[in-house]
Amino acid sequence: MPVTPTARPPGVRRLVRPYAGGFAAVVSLQIIGAVAGLLPLLAVVALGRTLLAPGPASPGHVRGVVVAGAAGLFVRLLFTAASSGVGHLLDGHVQLSLRRRLAAVLGRVPIGRLSRWRGGELAKLVGEDVSAVHPVIAHAPGELVSAFVVPLVSLAYLVTVDWRLTLITLVPVLLAVALVPLMMTRERLREQREYDAAMGRIAGSVVEFVQGIAVVKAFGGAERAHREFRGAVDDFTRSFSAMVRGLSGVAAGMQVALSPPFVLLAVLVGGAYRITGGGLAPADLLPFLLLGLGLTAPVAALGHGFDDVQAARRALGRIRDVLAEPALPEPVRPVAPRGHRVELRGVRFGYEAEREVLRGVDLVLEPGTVTAVVGPSGSGKSTLVRLLPRFVDPDQGAVLLGGVDLREVGSRELYRRVSFVFQDVRLLRASIAENIALAVPHAGHDDIVRAARLADIHEVILAMPRGYDAVIGEDARLSGGEAQRLSLARALLAEAPVLVLDEATAFADPRTEATVREALALTRGARTTLVIAHRMETIADADTVVMLRDGEIVERGTPAELRARGGEFAAFWRLHAGVAETGATGVGETR
Amino acid sequence: MITMLLRVLGPEYAGRVRRTVALMTATALAEGLSYALLVPVLRALFGGSPDDARPWLLAFGAAVAGYAVLRYVSDRSGFRAGTTMLHGMYVRLGEHLARLPLGWYRPGRVGEVSVLASQGVLKAMSVIAHLLAPFISACVTPLTIVGVMLVFSWQLGLAALAAVPVVAAVQLRTARATTATDTERVAREREATGRVIEYLQAQPVLRAGGRTAERFGLLDDALAGQQHASRRATLSALPGVLGLAATVQAVFTGLLALGAYLALGGDLGAAEVLAVLVLAARCADPLLSLAEIGGSLRAARAELARLDQVLRIEPLPEPAVPLRPSGHDVEFDAVTFRHGGRTVTDAVSLSVPQGGRLAVVGPSGAGKSTLLQLLARFYDVDAGAVRVGGVDVREMATAELMERVAIVFQDVYLFDGTIEDNVRLGRPDATGAQVRAAGAAALLDDVVERLPGGWSAHVGEGGALLSGGERQRVALARALLKDAPVVLLDEVTSALDPVSEAAVHTGIERLMKGRTVVMVAHRMRTVRRADRVAFLDGGRVVEQGSHDALLRQGGRYAEYWDLTVGAGKG
Repeated sequence: MPVTPTARPPGVRRLVRPYAGGFAAVVSLQIIGAVAGLLPLLAVVALGRTLLAPGPASPGHVRGVVVAGAAGLFVRLLFTAASSGVGHLLDGHVQLSLRRRLAAVLGRVPIGRLSRWRGGELAKLVGEDVSAVHPVIAHAPGELVSAFVVPLVSLAYLVTVDWRLTLITLVPVLLAVALVPLMMTRERLREQREYDAAMGRIAGSVVEFVQGIAVVKAFGGAERAHREFRGAVDDFTRSFSAMVRGLSGVAAGMQVALSPPFVLLAVLVGGAYRITGGGLAPADLLPFLLLGLGLTAPVAALGHGFDDVQAARRALGRIRDVLAEPALPEPVRPVAPRGHRVELRGVRFGYEAEREVLRGVDLVLEPGTVTAVVGPSGSGKSTLVRLLPRFVDPDQGAVLLGGVDLREVGSRELYRRVSFVFQDVRLLRASIAENIALAVPHAGHDDIVRAARLADIHEVILAMPRGYDAVIGEDARLSGGEAQRLSLARALLAEAPVLVLDEATAFADPRTEATVREALALTRGARTTLVIAHRMETIADADTVVMLRDGEIVERGTPAELRARGGEFAAFWRLHAGVAETGATGVGETR
Repeated sequence: MITMLLRVLGPEYAGRVRRTVALMTATALAEGLSYALLVPVLRALFGGSPDDARPWLLAFGAAVAGYAVLRYVSDRSGFRAGTTMLHGMYVRLGEHLARLPLGWYRPGRVGEVSVLASQGVLKAMSVIAHLLAPFISACVTPLTIVGVMLVFSWQLGLAALAAVPVVAAVQLRTARATTATDTERVAREREATGRVIEYLQAQPVLRAGGRTAERFGLLDDALAGQQHASRRATLSALPGVLGLAATVQAVFTGLLALGAYLALGGDLGAAEVLAVLVLAARCADPLLSLAEIGGSLRAARAELARLDQVLRIEPLPEPAVPLRPSGHDVEFDAVTFRHGGRTVTDAVSLSVPQGGRLAVVGPSGAGKSTLLQLLARFYDVDAGAVRVGGVDVREMATAELMERVAIVFQDVYLFDGTIEDNVRLGRPDATGAQVRAAGAAALLDDVVERLPGGWSAHVGEGGALLSGGERQRVALARALLKDAPVVLLDEVTSALDPVSEAAVHTGIERLMKGRTVVMVAHRMRTVRRADRVAFLDGGRVVEQGSHDALLRQGGRYAEYWDLTVGAGKG
């Protein structure tokens, strides 16, 4: 029985758990460094106590104080540097390992699943989303410690000096906290939501505007599209202004309350009052002047809301979802197919539960034959051919290769036997030889050259300065047709006995088309071929034609039989042959 | 940095930015100056005469109130400036993008610009909103404080002043060192992204070769390379961060020692020394934050530079006195066009009389599509001229040209709107009946019927909910609705299966009727609808004439024709 390797989707927390030890080290180093950083300030306090004490100060004591302060600074420098260094190393390690894990998972999910994500989405996931952990690992420890640990230590110390003045020092912080509810009123929250929505709209309309611009311009609609874009921009500005108007007063008020001059004013007024009343020694005012300012840090940090951490959480959530994608189930004990006969038995499949695309397809592809699939748009042709290379698995029924259910054949074996050519001729930015040998990593040079000759691309390659070592996209620039012939060479070298071909995207120009047809005919042998037919000639030459409509096979047989039957295929043939034979002038009849 | 910001924003916003910067500077100055009053206050409190502190304390209170007002106004001004500039930036970028030549929009560009326009603009504009004020304050306030220190104790002031050039040097050095490694990092990131995309697209063939992620060296190397580059970038920034911290701390320690020495020697009162040390502590925090702010500013600057680059691209020139074409004939007169160091078309001369149909045939990469693009002014020619109705396309207003030309591409772009919206793009002021008539002529009715919601059915992003043939029919309906006298068809049917092709052909036939047509095709049955054929190879016209004449001639075109038909028989 097939097994699913990934059992339960791991939470974001579990995703980062392996790195908890390293993270703890980063935070610990940071704490030691930050607390040591308080020493010089305490040294100033000690110096003040000595200098302000009646009688001459002892130079030895003063020297000791200065040295202690310098030592504190040195320790701080050392430990924060160590924390930062370890943090960045850990960060690099986490990012690389997340990227490798993502790549590994994506290399195992069913290929059909890959198309569920939009074009750049996965690339963004592996790139940007993974990078989002950087601020959390590399910078958050420092921010956290300076926002919470340092103020707490300072607060504890200040309370021991004078708890009354400590309370007065906290007045600005309390004022700022009192303003927080004003930022959370229903109206503010509504403005925030509107802002978020407008932001989403503007991002969407920018993309839409840019992507559609070629068409829009070609149809002289640039001004209209631009107007729409401007509309989104104006909307955005309106909601942004509303939010800023509502928020900026409160936010600026908070900033003023938390600003150093304001805090110092509170400390001095309170201090003067306490000193005049005789409740506080003048030297004890110093710690408040030096450490009191740090007490505002937590509130200031809350204002930021730790945006980076929030962004990282969201990114890690997306990463977690992809890592939790079930891999294509691999058989525990793979069974080797016997021969290359392909059989579809009662195959039903739908991308969504309610909408079946294939509704009970039975089909046999004999070795050495070509089966052509025809049918109107949306009839399920593309889905049908996607079953063979297991881009999708049937919901019901089975696809068998050499009598073995595809799900019992290991994927490596499967892809050796089934090749899906021309669907995408994208070449890798690697040497030409590597590109041809992609599916057969250990192919010899002679085999590569033979495949290239057969694909009529050998001369083109030799004409390049570095020949087979030329790198695609660097010193090897190929036209569309040449790229297709190169990918034909790749398929020929792989010698897969089952070939799935989508003619609709197969031919860039007549020369390529002729080459492909010749090469495939030459190497046909016992190959089993399934083709989404594009050319009437292909259909005419096929051993079997299958007419598909609404996910069901409505007609099947040899082309001649079907034409004679006078059914749907015959009608289609007449219509198409009509197009084929018609010149520029009028409507012709069948040949 | 500010200069680039002002250039990107354009002149109308420059004044506002300058005002905001001035306000922020004034606020930072006020903060630094208010600290001067700390010294007499502390002298009184530490000196055993706390009652003397009262007037100074009142003065400090007044200074703080002044600072508070300035700070409040400057913060709000920063917010407001951020909003207006964001708006201005979007509008400016939008207008510019709408004016750029279509040829600039290569496939990769679209993604690039989308990211730039959505995230890039925000990142760049966040400079003003979030970074500028802290940056100015981190530079100006410590400098002001040093000035205050000089007034009270020239020795301690000078010692503090010594830090200024060191801090500046460290900042500059870091900026220079990180620029290089950052560029490298961005390049590695792009490389890795490219490899990820390759890896995903090549999955079938990679799996066939047993190349899992671990064994696909190209990807793994790129990922590891990305990590190395990012580590190098961090390491190159580290000396700056540490250097700054070391400098600030060394100066603070120096002041501590010097202050202690001066106090012990009786050169300076204990109260003054302590007051100056309190001031010094006020310098340290903002200076240390400079490293981080500097890093963020550099990132925003890179974003600004990219915006600047796009905004500096010149749109195609518009004629001062636009000419109106007479008639709808098309002429390519010795057209030469170079692109990317390659001559794409080489002195191509072709003409199509009004109502005539020209098919351009040839191997891929021969320059066929470029001819259509030059006609629609995606690019301008390097030599020769393209004329419509006897007038050079460069001498027509773009709107005038676009009104006369309808293009149907092989890849159809559909908006995520309804089918009706997408067809209506051809002529926004068309009536519902006109839209439906165009749809019927393009055989779009079947498609509309199939979809839930009919004409109001949404087509999904990029038309994802329609098949290739169906999208093509929408494009034809669009062109039919536009009813332009010149029609350009670019390999319209080459990617369609026979059933779809038949339907599309009907639409094409209706679209071509009575119009001047230039079509690029390699389906020979499409070519036969033209009354004239030009065979292009390597950017030159190799043969031209009617289909039959060229077949009789037995040259390149005849060979091509044989190849396709012959292949069909074999």
